Parts: sequence; C-alpha cells; structure tokens
Amino acid sequence: MDEVRKLEAKSLARAKSRSRRRRVSTIRSRTIRGSLALFAVLWGVVFVQLASGNDPALSTKHHAERNSAAASPEPTPAEPAREPAPEAEAELDGSEFEVEEAVPEFEEFESEPEFEEAAPEIEEPIVTSSS
Amino acid sequence: MTAVGPHVFWITSRAAGIAAMMLASGSLGVGVMIRGRGESRRLLGSDVRALHEALSLATLIAITIHGVALLGDAYLHPSPLNIVVPFTGAYRPLWTGLGIVGGWGLAALGLSHYARGRIGAARWRHLHRFIPIFWALGIVHTLGAGTDAEQPWMLIAIGLPAAPALFLLLGRLFGSPEAEPLRQQRAPEPQLSGRRG
Repeated sequence: MDEVRKLEAKSLARAKSRSRRRRVSTIRSRTIRGSLALFAVLWGVVFVQLASGNDPALSTKHHAERNSAAASPEPTPAEPAREPAPEAEAELDGSEFEVEEAVPEFEEFESEPEFEEAAPEIEEPIVTSSS
Repeated sequence: MTAVGPHVFWITSRAAGIAAMMLASGSLGVGVMIRGRGESRRLLGSDVRALHEALSLATLIAITIHGVALLGDAYLHPSPLNIVVPFTGAYRPLWTGLGIVGGWGLAALGLSHYARGRIGAARWRHLHRFIPIFWALGIVHTLGAGTDAEQPWMLIAIGLPAAPALFLLLGRLFGSPEAEPLRQQRAPEPQLSGRRG
C-alpha cells in the first residue's frame, strides 16, 4: 500500500510541476506579446503625433517658422527644429569657412585680363531665336 | 503633414523608452507583491515570480532598444559612448545621464538574479532593494529629457502603472504589519545553534 501511495504522490508531484511549467511558459509568452503590443501602440501614437504635425519637439519649429515668416517674406524650408548635434554644428562652421575662401578666388578670376579683353567682343548684337 | 522617414529611429527610441518605463513600473509593482509577506505571498506563489521576471527582462530589452535606436538618429547623432557613459551626451546631459545611470542600475541589479548563487541570497536580496532608486531615476529621466514629457497621454501612460507601484512600495517601506510575526517565526534559528554548541 505504501508503495502505491508513493507512486501516486510522485505522479501527483510530476503533474503539479508540469502544470506549473505550463503556467510559467504561458505567463512568459503573454508578457512578451503584451510588451510587443505595448511597444507597437506607443510607436503608432508617436508616429501619428509626428505625422499629423503635432509633435512637441517639432511644434517649436512651427513657432519659429511662423516668426521668421512674419519677419521676412522669403519662404523658409520645412526643416525640423530639433537641435543638431555639436558635430553637425562644427560641420556647418567648416562649410561656412569654405565659402569665405571661395570668394577671393572668384574676385581674382574677374580681374583677369583675358576676361576684360573678352568683354568688348560681347558688344556685337546677340542673335536669338526670338529675334 | 510632416515627413516621418528621417525620424523613424527617433520614434522607435521614444516608444521603447515609454514602454520601458511602463514595464519597469509593472515589474516593480509585481516585485513588491512578491516581497509582501504572509497570506498574499502564499497565494501568489511562482506565477507572480515568473511574471516579475518576464516583465523585468522585457524592461531591459526595451531600455536596450531605447538606447540603440538613438544611434541611428540623424539629429542627435550620439556616439556609442554617449549612450553608454552617463553625462557625456550633448542633449540635456544631466537628465540623459540620470537615465543612463538608472538603466545600468536596473540591468545590473536585475540580472544579478542569475548570479544569486555566487553573490549569496541574503546579499542579493539586500542589493535588490535598491532597484526602486534606479526606477525613480528612470522616471526623472523621462520627465526631464522626454520629448513627450508634457503631453497628457504620456503623463497618463507613465503615471498609470507608476502610481500603484509607488503605492505598493510605500506600503512595503512604511507599513508591513505582517512582517513581525514572520520574524518571530524565524527567531528559533540561533537557539538551535546554541544547542549544538
């Protein structure tokens, strides 16, 4: 009788551990699914917020654009107002420097004698398709 | 309509960050329930422990996505060092740094569960009690550096799971009437050692 009881107890313990494992795996898979769903929903919310033009970071740009548009009649490009990284700012500084360097070269080119000599030749009447 | 293409990494990072905070709050609340003594502990058992573990791991994965996705953002353009080392980034360094400290703290203390044998159960339990500090750093980071921090939906999303977690935590810290009987039950241990000696 004792052996039968032992066997019954063992089988009961096995069944319990099996059911516990099943429950744990169910909890894990549900948590993973829930987390993925949560992430997807949040991604969608942020996406819609940004796409609809109501993003808090980009809305400051809208204010800035409105102010700049009111100050100057020139149209401003629709770029986001998020501040670029310092590296990007450094790159911008570098490009400005290159532009400053290019200006004297252009002036030298204009002052070349060949250009001055070529100028009188242009005095001839230009024949175009309309004339 | 705003062009979304250039902001995909930014959106991913924001969504992962908010998800991480929500999951962390859930994990903390469940963790406090596990630590609760007496009847509640007996009723909850291994199921809640499994839920706590799954939520913690999901939190750590979300934190990782939150940081790694920023590497692809063309505007912030952080280096790998900026997302790993606190207070080195250009964007709101204090708030971002606090978030990085919180993330590392959660990762270290959370994953230490798997090294519990080496650390020792009592020491691990003692260390594990510091997790709410790093969770709080995450909340501070979210409110200080989060793009959506002032958005009502964001405050609800963060506050809804954080409020019960905080309530349970405060209840655990300041009022645990069930703790005393359990301590009295554990008291006989020194007497046994005394008999041996």
